Amino acid sequence: MSRAPLDHGVLQAAAGWFARLHAAQNDAAIQAQWHAWLNEDARHRLAWSYVENINQRFGGLGGQAEQARQVFDSVRRDRHSRRAVLGSLCVAGVAGVLGWGGWQRGWVDSPRAWFATYRTGLGEVRPVTLADGSQLWLNGGTALDVQFDEGSRQLRLYRGEILIESGKDPRPLSVVTRAGRVQPLGTRFSVRDQGLQTTLSVFAGAVQATCSGSGRQTTLQAGQMMVFDAQQVGAPSTAQRLREDWSRGVLVAEDMPLAQMIGILRDYRLGHLGIDPAIGSLRAVGTFPLLDTDRALAMLERALPIRVVRTLPWWVSIEAV
Amino acid sequence: MAGPMNASPSAPAPGFDLEELYRSHHGWIRQWLQRKLGNAHDAAELAQDVFVRLLSKPRVFNDHEHARAYLGRMSRNACVDFWRRRRVEQAYLEVLATQPEQLAPSLEHQAVILETLEQLQAMFERMPQRVAEAFSMAQLQGMKQREIAEQLGVSERSVNSYLAQAMYQCLLLEAELDGSLA
Repeated sequence: MSRAPLDHGVLQAAAGWFARLHAAQNDAAIQAQWHAWLNEDARHRLAWSYVENINQRFGGLGGQAEQARQVFDSVRRDRHSRRAVLGSLCVAGVAGVLGWGGWQRGWVDSPRAWFATYRTGLGEVRPVTLADGSQLWLNGGTALDVQFDEGSRQLRLYRGEILIESGKDPRPLSVVTRAGRVQPLGTRFSVRDQGLQTTLSVFAGAVQATCSGSGRQTTLQAGQMMVFDAQQVGAPSTAQRLREDWSRGVLVAEDMPLAQMIGILRDYRLGHLGIDPAIGSLRAVGTFPLLDTDRALAMLERALPIRVVRTLPWWVSIEAV
Repeated sequence: MAGPMNASPSAPAPGFDLEELYRSHHGWIRQWLQRKLGNAHDAAELAQDVFVRLLSKPRVFNDHEHARAYLGRMSRNACVDFWRRRRVEQAYLEVLATQPEQLAPSLEHQAVILETLEQLQAMFERMPQRVAEAFSMAQLQGMKQREIAEQLGVSERSVNSYLAQAMYQCLLLEAELDGSLA
């Protein structure tokens, strides 16, 4: 499809509308003028779609806006003082050793994760049926590769979380993360990659976990969960329904503190979602849609003495009535 | 006549062969990056990254000299991005370290946030400081224009113009990346 190219004037006009709408957020007359401008020309709409991209990018910071501000301040302060130093290759070498281990800390994607066969975005849950009949659910922000050969079935989880109901197949199944390997014995379980640590929750059958570094092994039974890393395994505790319910796109709250619930919803939406600490200890009960967080918020608003304030489409805060 | 820079990215024309480009140019790019970064591992990753970018936005080159100039520019940009990423990552680590663990976002969310922070930092770097400050107050702190004006000690009219300027810089970048600018 060919598009009419944009010129600087159209971009300037779109930027002007952004500033005007920001100044007069509830002004119906200005909004009507802005609508008229949008309807005038496809190029206006294209330029405005970029404004929305930019806004969504800010929205993507979720509840971390204050932290983001601190990061930008700190980078701005450092920029001038560091620039001179970084010219020297010797210092650059040291920085290389210190910094790029980001992936090992679980925060920067491995390039392999970019090209993984199965990937989901933030707030997206996807079911997948594998060639052996195993049923898989990918939680938001997951990257996974599947390698089946004659003797084995291997899933490589680069980031995110999967829930598995393993199919009947004589070849051994395993899930590999940075922390180690888990091998089920005909079962339903979830594996959540958290960088250096992996959380394993077992809902049916039994699963064996092996640390990638120390080779230490533990077997978990149905109803148990455990956190482990490359060296050690944690003590088993009771598995949380939360780690299974997301695959059905629901959040089941049984007397859950509101602050915790909002924290979970944050992982499923773009944009700032804040909560007044004064109402964080209110209790939520019920089954909420994870993939339609606006509806979940509306349900909370009906059930609890709170109100959902939408300052901007991507800026929402929960306050007391 | 259309100049080489106007080659349409959406129409891979004859003469574009990524494999050949890779064979001819990957070596010197990696060496150049290694001199810049002083580290073979990072250099290899970034050199790979340059070709991944080229793959996602194929271009037509007149000859190897033309390709060399273009890839050189891409490598320099990759270097700038690399240092920015390093600085932002370090600063985010420091900020996270100061807050209670239970408030920290999940690790996969952190990865998304870090990527966003890098993109936003790249935008801020294109703006005059005042403009960047006003934009950050509006977008990150949800401040109204009157509040920003008070804090910066300027008129509301100036703040409005700062926000428009800031958004314009962002849109330029966005349109360039999208290849939609005339």
